[in-house]
Amino acid sequence: MNKDKEQVRLLDLEDGRTGIIISITGGKMLTKRLADLGLSTGTKIKILRKTPFSGPVQVEVRSSKLVLGRGLAYKIMVEIQ
Amino acid sequence: MTEGKKINIVLAGQGNAGKSTIFNYLTGLHQHTGNWAGKTIEKFEGTLYYKGYTIDVFDLPGIYSLTTYSVEEVISREYIIKQKPDVVINIIDSTNLERNLIFTLQLLELECPVILALNMVDLALKKGITIDSAKLQKIINAPVIPTIASRGSGLTDIIDKAIELKEGKTEYRVPRYGKEIESRIEDLSQYVKDVDLPYPSRWIAIKLLEKDRDIVTNIRGKDPRILKEAGEAIYRLEEIHGHDSSVVISDERTLLASHITREIVNIRPHRKLSLNEKLEIITTHKIIGYFIMILILGAMFVGVFSFGNWLSSLFESVFQNWHEWWNNELGTTLTAALGWAAVESVLALVQIALPYILPFYILLYILEDWGYIARISFLMDNFMHKMGIHGKGCISFIIGLGCNVPGCLSCRIMESKRERFITAVLVTLVPCSAVSVIIFGLVGKYVGLLWALGLYLFAMIVIFLTGKLSSKFIGGEPVELIMPMPDYKTPNLKTILYETWDALKEFIYIAAPIVIISGVFIQAINLAGWMPAISSFLSPVTEKWLGLPAVTGILLIFGILRKELILVMLAAYLGTTSFIDVLSPQQMITLSVVSMFYVPCVATISVLWKDFGWKKAMAVCILEILFAIAIAGIVKRALDLVF
Ligand SMILES: Nc1nc2c(ncn2[C@@H]2O[C@H](COP(=O)(O)OP(=O)(O)OP(=O)(O)O)[C@@H](O)[C@H]2O)c(=O)[nH]1
Repeated sequence: MNKDKEQVRLLDLEDGRTGIIISITGGKMLTKRLADLGLSTGTKIKILRKTPFSGPVQVEVRSSKLVLGRGLAYKIMVEIQ
Repeated sequence: MTEGKKINIVLAGQGNAGKSTIFNYLTGLHQHTGNWAGKTIEKFEGTLYYKGYTIDVFDLPGIYSLTTYSVEEVISREYIIKQKPDVVINIIDSTNLERNLIFTLQLLELECPVILALNMVDLALKKGITIDSAKLQKIINAPVIPTIASRGSGLTDIIDKAIELKEGKTEYRVPRYGKEIESRIEDLSQYVKDVDLPYPSRWIAIKLLEKDRDIVTNIRGKDPRILKEAGEAIYRLEEIHGHDSSVVISDERTLLASHITREIVNIRPHRKLSLNEKLEIITTHKIIGYFIMILILGAMFVGVFSFGNWLSSLFESVFQNWHEWWNNELGTTLTAALGWAAVESVLALVQIALPYILPFYILLYILEDWGYIARISFLMDNFMHKMGIHGKGCISFIIGLGCNVPGCLSCRIMESKRERFITAVLVTLVPCSAVSVIIFGLVGKYVGLLWALGLYLFAMIVIFLTGKLSSKFIGGEPVELIMPMPDYKTPNLKTILYETWDALKEFIYIAAPIVIISGVFIQAINLAGWMPAISSFLSPVTEKWLGLPAVTGILLIFGILRKELILVMLAAYLGTTSFIDVLSPQQMITLSVVSMFYVPCVATISVLWKDFGWKKAMAVCILEILFAIAIAGIVKRALDLVF
């Protein structure tokens, strides 16, 4: 893994930026569910927008749009592209 | 050989890919469609006669994988495995090809005859996406047909292909995964080969590596030694890949799906933002999005109210002299009086309920078909979390505004049992269109529109507090929201009219008979002179505590059948729709509050019963009755201070 690249939580990625998932902390069920939707380590993920008042985030993964709950976005670590 | 000409086909795919649209087109039936994922909740069956074949078509719920997280996935998987349909039609949303292909790969693992319907190619084209379907066909070794379901294009080709598949012999050459994984699968399949289970052995091997609960249990019952082998393979996989073997398998599919996508898809870079993309940006904006949401919902209610009022007055002037005419023609015998009760009930239904319900459904279906409901979920997720559920619950709430029955049914999109139950209970508190009839027709018309809107606000507060309380009571953590966001689609006029007609049909076939029977029944009680006895029995609650006319007691009882009955029967009983002559503004508001909360209607109760058992259903009813009476009494006392 490239040490120069900054690693942040998905939640802290700014709107419009892209990152690559490096880890997902969470239960087995959750990681498996995400994996079945095509979200796992190594996947490119782009933040489209967030809502204020700690709402969910809207992301683009494999050219489809998903909404992820805030807590979930907190559990996903990405490497900023 | 006409006997044998029967074909069984199943429609399967991820949510919102267009399955129900295709089902409707093929069978001429009418399954609900709309632009959000998760509408089809049970499998639906229809029949099609084509070229001398009898073709049974099954519409399965939209699912994201063939594992066992949710009831829907289990239903779909079991159906495909056990019923062995002749052909599975995998409907794919071309605008989300890569994600949809992950599901396709799982389907192919089942080694059943699959036809791919590349649906929504029109929308893909608009986004600059072209897909090489011939190449895809070669890669996955199954027929691929581009379709536009909403226009019916390509759908007969699918059926022709299905017939061809049924008649011919197909061999399965399932796409293979990476060498390393594939060799593990291969090794394990050797052990599984002789096990007596109705599944393909390669599939069992994959499921074992995925630690699928059902399959593991199954195998344990047959030959526990296999589990030891599987355990070893899993250990190896996890050692090499560094994470759970079930995820390793998913990743393998994802990798293949993305590889295939790269081979067949050509994306021309975007020219300009389309109108729908601009709308997307505005309607989900951090701040403006919320204003627009309030504006849209507010405009919807004002629109329904003004249109409803206008139409209602129109009917009123039309029906004005009918009673006189009836009495002149038929006299005032007992039969004539009962006959009039039946006619009057229907007229009241048409005059009071229909004018509001009609525009309500049209607007609701426009929002649904356009795709706005998913945006509301996005914007409201945080707020919903405070009630212990997540944003998808909002979808059920909005559906519940039309009718609580589909509202409660749609709770099945929630992932856990706990959330399903909480959401369903909250949906029963959402004022459905029948309650809206009461709110608009009484409070909106005679007290003021602001008061009517105030009642909706009040309902929201009650729902919020109930949610907060019940999630505390029931405990547990809310599941995180994971929701596919559909693109906005230009609403299809035909679909919307169809859907509205469907809602109205239920009004004609179900509401009208109930209204007639209840109307005659109440009139008979009245003529027999039993009314005072019944009314006085309930009067401690109705008159003393709620300050309502005694007759409302029996109306509230009938209202359990359908809530609009409360107002319709009141009109029929009084022989006038000029409610201001019999109810004061306080009474109108109090009556609306009771009607809103006092108990779900029988149809909704039966859904609760079916989904959560009679104990929970009864508990909900009793609690809501007590709550409604209590809160309405308090509201009445507060209003006494205002008016
Ligand atoms: N433009 C366009 N719209 C389509 C097409 N097929 C379906 N739609 C629309 O897409 C939306 C979803 O279609 P449905 O048939 O309800 O989807 P479904 O797969 O049954 O969805 P679930 O039951 O939720 O899994 C509806 O608004 C349809 O009108 C198509 O080929 N082109």
